[in-house]
Amino acid sequence: MPPGVICVCGREEQASLFSCGRQAINTGVSDSAIIIDRLEKSFPRAYSGWRALLQPFAAPSLAALQGISLQVRAGEAVALLGVNGAGKSTLLRVLATLLIPTRGRALVAGFDCAREPAAVRRNFGYHAGSDLGFYARLTGRENLGFFGHLNHLSDSFLKTRIPALAERFELGDALDRQVRTLSSGTIQRLSLLRALLHQPKVLLLDEPTRSLDALAAADFRRFLKAEVLQRQGTSLLFASHTLPEIEILADRVAILKDGNLVALDSPESLKAKCGAQSLEQAFSVLTGHDARALEEPAS
Amino acid sequence: MIQMLRDLLLFFRRDLRIASSYRSPFVLELIEALFGAATFYYVARFVDSPQLREALPQGTSYFTYSLVGFVFFDYLHAALDSFDKTLEEARDSGTLEPLLVTQVSLPVVLIGSSVYPFALTTLRVAVYLGWGAALFGFPLGSANWLAVVVVLAATLLSFSGLGIFSSAYLLLFKRGNPSKWFFLGISSLVGGMLFPVSILPGWLQIVAHLNPVTYALDAMRAALLDGAGLATIARPLLILLLFAVVLLPTSIGVFSWALQRTKITGTLSHR
Repeated sequence: MPPGVICVCGREEQASLFSCGRQAINTGVSDSAIIIDRLEKSFPRAYSGWRALLQPFAAPSLAALQGISLQVRAGEAVALLGVNGAGKSTLLRVLATLLIPTRGRALVAGFDCAREPAAVRRNFGYHAGSDLGFYARLTGRENLGFFGHLNHLSDSFLKTRIPALAERFELGDALDRQVRTLSSGTIQRLSLLRALLHQPKVLLLDEPTRSLDALAAADFRRFLKAEVLQRQGTSLLFASHTLPEIEILADRVAILKDGNLVALDSPESLKAKCGAQSLEQAFSVLTGHDARALEEPAS
Repeated sequence: MIQMLRDLLLFFRRDLRIASSYRSPFVLELIEALFGAATFYYVARFVDSPQLREALPQGTSYFTYSLVGFVFFDYLHAALDSFDKTLEEARDSGTLEPLLVTQVSLPVVLIGSSVYPFALTTLRVAVYLGWGAALFGFPLGSANWLAVVVVLAATLLSFSGLGIFSSAYLLLFKRGNPSKWFFLGISSLVGGMLFPVSILPGWLQIVAHLNPVTYALDAMRAALLDGAGLATIARPLLILLLFAVVLLPTSIGVFSWALQRTKITGTLSHR
């Protein structure tokens, strides 16, 4: 266990949970929606010039995740907190089956992200934190319909689900306008809507409110808390730099530093254990970073 | 299987919607096809000679020979371009990752995204031949349409394998595939597009017979111009299908391996 970790489950407990992970989840013995066990991810150095031809075969040497273990229980919201490069997005992308871990395992809804990616994809909704990802010349409705159908949702379901969510997200006429005419905040709302469309068991959100204005962000948090987490019992793992957002949404906070998990506990417990008045202070104590580093624009 | 066909149709509808949001290219392509067919007609009149007639298959004019070669060569362009273009556009527009987290696999995304370009190529071919028949006496009436459809299907399958190989290269190395241009160049030389393979030197004829384009054009000309049935074109058709049987699974395997590599190296969405 990395030095300084607060309240992370013990290795033995992790290992036993993991070894029975899939069966346990399927039989209801364990209520873990996500199990991450000693997960490591390294990337190769970027080559240029003629050496770029060797890039696909380069050995991984830059560690982004260094043996992270954590669980997210069914219906629980866990926030990933750390400065840029701490490993938050990498962790989410491994769970979203967009990256293959170097070592260790990750399970979503009982399925192994590396070995059973198709089964994993049936169970999560993913928002990458970008305002890209849509066909610019299709309308919002056409885009959502297309991605919904790719998740094998029926016409009749989509015909009711898309307008219902769009109304909740106050998308108004944006649904019937070409995406190229929409603001980045509106596109981000469409992207969040897309992640929720198929009512996934697990939500993986990377900076979900980054491009939203303050009102839209607050409204989204209320919706996520009341509808998605509390009413539907969806599990949420999200990365955020917004500390008030984390305090509102997260049952527990996983603090990452240089690819290591340095703390995992509820916001209140983290503050109490660090003798801090705020999550910001607790973050500084635990990582040695000034919390203002969280507000740096993404690189 | 039905689900896969539904998925493929989704991609076709997506591309049709995107294309129809532009409109004008449809009209321009109709006009371009007219100029193209006319060009072949007048070139054929200009180069017509007893030696040329001797080199061409019996009863074939250079106009019909070169027009079929030119328009069906377009399928090779479509195959080699559409898979690469799909991947590049998805990467640049940021839709690659959202596509990859759906329940549809990337090979299906690729194949689905090639349906519209192939349909558009078919439409373009039909317009070219239509102009040729309406204005310049192209003998559409003598075609064996069943054989034409079967040859076309075999052509698409074998050419798709080449296109998927090309996109695997793009996935790994991020830039256009130089072997694609080499393959297009060599195929236009030895594939029998504008002149018969029989006039090439012996060693180039060997290269020609290792190329699926040669068999595709042979079979298509026979079905379209001579009205040859499936039994008559069995040899080039079977060889074409053999290319498809080898190229398609191999290329999908290579592409899947390339995708795994990019997920390991973290370069999936890199440009």
